[in-house]
Amino acid sequence: MATKQVEVRDLDEGSYVMIDDVACKINSYSTAKPGKHGSAKARVEAEGVFDGKKRNLSQPVDAKIRVPIINRKQGQVVSTSGDEAQVMDLETYDTFTIALPDGVDLSPDDDIEYLEMEEQRKIV
Amino acid sequence: MFPGADAPRAEADYALVGAPLDASTSFEPGARFGPDRVRRYAEAFDDYDRHTDQQFSELALHDHGDVGPTADTGEYLTFLRGTCGDFREAGAVPLLVGGEHTVTVAGVRAVEPDVFVCLDAHLDLRESYAGDPLSHATVTRHALEVADRAVVLGARTGSEAEWERASEGDVRAVAPADVSDWEPDFDPDDSVYLSVDIDAFDPAYAPGTGTKEPFGIEPREGRRVVREVAPFAEGFDVVEVNDRDDGQAAVLAAKLLRAFVYSHAADR
Repeated sequence: MATKQVEVRDLDEGSYVMIDDVACKINSYSTAKPGKHGSAKARVEAEGVFDGKKRNLSQPVDAKIRVPIINRKQGQVVSTSGDEAQVMDLETYDTFTIALPDGVDLSPDDDIEYLEMEEQRKIV
Repeated sequence: MFPGADAPRAEADYALVGAPLDASTSFEPGARFGPDRVRRYAEAFDDYDRHTDQQFSELALHDHGDVGPTADTGEYLTFLRGTCGDFREAGAVPLLVGGEHTVTVAGVRAVEPDVFVCLDAHLDLRESYAGDPLSHATVTRHALEVADRAVVLGARTGSEAEWERASEGDVRAVAPADVSDWEPDFDPDDSVYLSVDIDAFDPAYAPGTGTKEPFGIEPREGRRVVREVAPFAEGFDVVEVNDRDDGQAAVLAAKLLRAFVYSHAADR
């Protein structure tokens, strides 16, 4: 999986992090000191980018952690069927099927933005 | 470790979290020593409680240790809220030991109660104090962002604007003289958070606190409130103990924390 290593102190709300080997988006980042002279500890509350599940982690701010490399790409809707859409990537012209988020209504020829990490994709 | 609080984290029914925040204390500082003092002055207590016929060390209490503050109080409260939330998700009742009263905001946000019950000399209904919206004088105001209503028992001081706010329907301020007659009036489905600011008690009994206010409640009255509210409560804290006395405030705080656990466990 395409990831890079950073220190926990480099994380921020809205950025991505790997928790339990799953790419997550950070909803909340906060710090506290565990005790006298202890290095500060950071708490990250996040949810899976592709599965929506909530996950937490608590680590010293100088601990190393991996963040996923997620590409934001442009696509065009070819067709829709139920809660899925056939989309063509506007750079590579690859076509693939992608799930429609709740409440999103798309029509053929609509331009979309989507997140891609390896074989996982999600409409933004 | 709080004496008798030796249950492993995974088996805990109660989780004590020390929160030594001492950032906005407006008069005498030292609340940062509260968690240590409360643990120390609990050492002499008997394990057995005659009132509920229980041994404290058998009530599955885990001491998480202290979570120390960093420079950003807002960020610290978010961390603390997350720590308390983790214990709640695991089925344990969080017990915060302050630290200044501001740490209560984290406990209340973790529990999201319907009713905030507080023993306190001060109304704590300010929007900010000395330019700080996270001052220890703003706690009840923050609690009301989460809870539907607040009851402040032992309240005897506040600004004019605070008393006006306290006259609205979602706040009930009970004067010290009336605390002995107060009875819990919760709906059966209400979830409750109980906060004990040690300055609710008369400074004769609890001089080790940052903003002493004379004519406070008696320890026995406060213990009755704690015992009667505990069965409804999903979170508890005791705050504003400092190190400027001979242990009177800390020993009272420790005893009330134990009274809460005994009463809550007896009702389970």
